[in-house]
Amino acid sequence: MKWEVRCRETWLHETNPSLKLIVLVVLFFAVLFIHNPNVLINVSLALFVLFCFGTGYPANVLFWLFLPFFLVFVSTASSMMMFGEGTTTWVRWGLIHITAESFWRGVHIGFRALALGLLGLIFSLTTRPVHLFYSLMQQLKLKPKYAYSFLAAVRLLPIMLEEFQTIRYALKVRGVPNKGGLSKVKRYAIPLLSQSIRRAQRIAVAMEAKRFSGSGRRTFYYEIGFGKYDVLFVALFAALMFVAYYAGVHYPYISISDVR
Amino acid sequence: METTTKGLKLADILTTIVIAIVFGVIYKLWGPLYSAVGVLGFHLDQLIYGMWFIASSLAYLLIRKPGVALLAEIAASSGELVMGSQWGLEVLIYGVVQGLFAEIVFAVFRYRRFDTFVVSLGAVGATVGSLIMDFYKGYIEALAPWNMALFLLARFIGAVLISGVFAVSLAKAIEKTGVTQMWRPASKDDYDALNR
Repeated sequence: MKWEVRCRETWLHETNPSLKLIVLVVLFFAVLFIHNPNVLINVSLALFVLFCFGTGYPANVLFWLFLPFFLVFVSTASSMMMFGEGTTTWVRWGLIHITAESFWRGVHIGFRALALGLLGLIFSLTTRPVHLFYSLMQQLKLKPKYAYSFLAAVRLLPIMLEEFQTIRYALKVRGVPNKGGLSKVKRYAIPLLSQSIRRAQRIAVAMEAKRFSGSGRRTFYYEIGFGKYDVLFVALFAALMFVAYYAGVHYPYISISDVR
Repeated sequence: METTTKGLKLADILTTIVIAIVFGVIYKLWGPLYSAVGVLGFHLDQLIYGMWFIASSLAYLLIRKPGVALLAEIAASSGELVMGSQWGLEVLIYGVVQGLFAEIVFAVFRYRRFDTFVVSLGAVGATVGSLIMDFYKGYIEALAPWNMALFLLARFIGAVLISGVFAVSLAKAIEKTGVTQMWRPASKDDYDALNR
């Protein structure tokens, strides 16, 4: 989705988008059910390596993309560390009560947020939205009226941004004070939304006239299938999870094997 | 023209998705704000969590058809994902669950009531959906009891205020612009106007 950033096409770009989505969703649930921090740290590190060397983006772009994830890591972890329940007290300072259990649970949750974030980032950095929706139609039989509606809606975004600017200038010219919380949200949201709805209605009429709403057989401009990289993709993630699990159980960093 | 009259028409789908994509942008921008408020501590961030349910409320209020609440929440969260959300893939799965729970509430009322009460209940439903996901992800049950109570209270209040009360006022304002007339059947007032 990063149109403005140039990137090298890697093998991850070549994998089938539907397959990639399914594998990553499965991994998402797998990560939710990992309660051993050693395993989770291994998984996060492996995903981080893949994020750095597999997505084909320059290092400075990767840094800025990663920064918010780091903040989520810190904020998720600290809340559990300071307010979680536990028995082995380390620090007690007013309402803040850090225990060994809550500390490691906090670390675990932080790494989990990191792993989940990286999964999504790897997906969105290496998948072109157009290919994703064409693949969803061809492999997962998503109805064309849904897929093309999505694609049309994404195309409307730049127009909306332009309208947002126009409204801003119009309000400025009329001397409307640029403050107020929810009333300000409304001032922008109502014209933006109503214009978008009008435009959506017009586009829908045009699309219906071109039979985009039909349920008959369609041919596709982009034919998306499977290739050798898909095998590699599945094999890599299976190996990654296995190694992370094996190493986490047999060569732990810390002696806790379940944070619950 | 279409043989299948059941389900959503292309116009409904497209309008829902367009509305949802607008909120997808807001959802994306809400992430950094949420993190910034989170630094203040005491779960103040949970008060603004409710913004992430507003797409389903608003789509339901404007389009008034079965399935749009779920579709809107999925579309908004996938828009957020594609724009590179700081939570990654998580937002899509949260979106599906939240949309599903809001949709269930609206289905219980058989898609007939469009007032603040029902929409607020829908927001509460979405909150329950988000809490189920949090339960697995963040071990929230392991927070100290007073802290968890504060967490839950803040999230429910925020959801009702933003995705309930505020969504209704936003929908009313949009109704006044007349754009929703396009897919509402002519009302009795319209016929009376013709007979005059």
